Amino acid sequence: MTGLSSSISSLYDLVERFWKPLAELSLPGPAQEMMAYAAFAFYVLLIAGGGLAAVLSRQLVRALVGLVLTFLGVAGLYLLLAAPFMAFMQLLIYVGAICVLVFFAIMLVKNTQTGEEAASPGLGQAFGAILAALAPLALFAPLIAARAGELGDGLAPRETPLAELGQGLLSYYLLPFELISVILLVAMAGGVLLAWDRRFRN
Amino acid sequence: MDINLQVIIKLLAALGLIIALLIANSLVMVWLERKVAGFIQRRPGPYEVGPYGLLQTLVDAVKLLGKQMVVPANCDHVLFFLGPVLAMFPMFLVFLVIPFGPVLTGLEDDLGVLLIMAFVGFEGLAVLVGGWASNNKYGLIGAARAVSQAVAYEIPLILAVLAVAFQCGTLNLTLITEAQGNWPWQWHLVRQPLAFLIFLICMFGETNRAPFDLPEGESELTGGYHTEYSGMGFALYFMAEYTSMLLVSFLAAVFFLGGSGGPLWPGIWWTFIKAGLLMTLMIWVRWTYPRVRFDQLLNINWKWLLPLGLLNLWLTALVMKCF
Repeated sequence: MTGLSSSISSLYDLVERFWKPLAELSLPGPAQEMMAYAAFAFYVLLIAGGGLAAVLSRQLVRALVGLVLTFLGVAGLYLLLAAPFMAFMQLLIYVGAICVLVFFAIMLVKNTQTGEEAASPGLGQAFGAILAALAPLALFAPLIAARAGELGDGLAPRETPLAELGQGLLSYYLLPFELISVILLVAMAGGVLLAWDRRFRN
Repeated sequence: MDINLQVIIKLLAALGLIIALLIANSLVMVWLERKVAGFIQRRPGPYEVGPYGLLQTLVDAVKLLGKQMVVPANCDHVLFFLGPVLAMFPMFLVFLVIPFGPVLTGLEDDLGVLLIMAFVGFEGLAVLVGGWASNNKYGLIGAARAVSQAVAYEIPLILAVLAVAFQCGTLNLTLITEAQGNWPWQWHLVRQPLAFLIFLICMFGETNRAPFDLPEGESELTGGYHTEYSGMGFALYFMAEYTSMLLVSFLAAVFFLGGSGGPLWPGIWWTFIKAGLLMTLMIWVRWTYPRVRFDQLLNINWKWLLPLGLLNLWLTALVMKCF
């Protein structure tokens, strides 16, 4: 028994000697910065590619898979912004629930490319789509223009602890939080009402 | 997070070990499933290849690798191949946050529970994509069942987990393990019996296992969502099913059964013993109970598990507030 315990403790010594110093061997700052840029580029590529797939594909299901890619990219950007809670919630709600439900609705559509979406869009439709795509620019352009050339303070974003987030939702942001729950309640009640009406009329 | 050599080595080693674990799990579980099924049905099960037929799965795996993957005509090729891959890839990620032992966690994360729940959601999507892309009515019906089942059973599962997380005040799986002691009466099984019961039932619903295996009910849907899959496509879906079984078993062990704590020599083996016993229980249940009807399946969930889960959460909050 003593032999075993001494050999275990010597194993721990070995681990201490070789494992702990590895924590000192950090990647140099510029390399870490490069990695962050690379990750940012990858996520933006995911968002843009997924968005294009969602808009341009002739099949609704492929369009939905494009949308899932976009959501993945957005979740990645949240991670880069040190908001992992938002990132995981994005996946849990948008990919795990909303996309799956949209898929459910699409499945009731035929698996052929003969529907309305198969026809190539007219000029007016394309123009409208481009206009709609530029709409966010109207919102963000003044913001971007005002802060052009301004560099960030170079500090990594701080991660908000979960407890702080919860306290914020229940104190300072209580009104928006409650309003959103009222909206969800109304939507749910509406869904029940619609189904109810249909079930008992027949 | 600071990126240093220690973090990188740890992540790579954890990923390698997890891949090895998942492959070994599928090999052992398929053998065990057939052996237990044989025992329950009073027949020997596989016994030709290796001692007690132990190498049977290995041979089966070689067969599946060598098989031609038949792609049905008029199917969506991209999505047809994406389905099985999508079923397997998030699984490697979710095992990173599971505390197998006191220091054996691939990635210790304060939001571990949330990470697992977020990526488990891909499972339903993978089944849907595969079932829809194969352009087969059985596949489509199986996929439709899978999605209404997955969406339904995820909610009470999360409610049960939430009650435990609420009691511990954290979503970090390591801390949830540490909140329980070495002795069985200190485990959350005793403190949250209702949550454990809900979790146990939802385990079958989430993994599409009998008696809740309606998405692939072979007597009515031939193979359900994987009707058109052969060779490796089928193997990946199959592996994903056994992997999700392993995942929920580990989760139950960590959340309710004390994780790596045990009366004698607490350590990593306890996690594996508990998870293994839970998986054997799942096999036992599969070969004991008949399949339920689909409306029964959804009624159990929406009329019983969901209200009970909410009640349990509410009671937990009340107890936490008062005591």
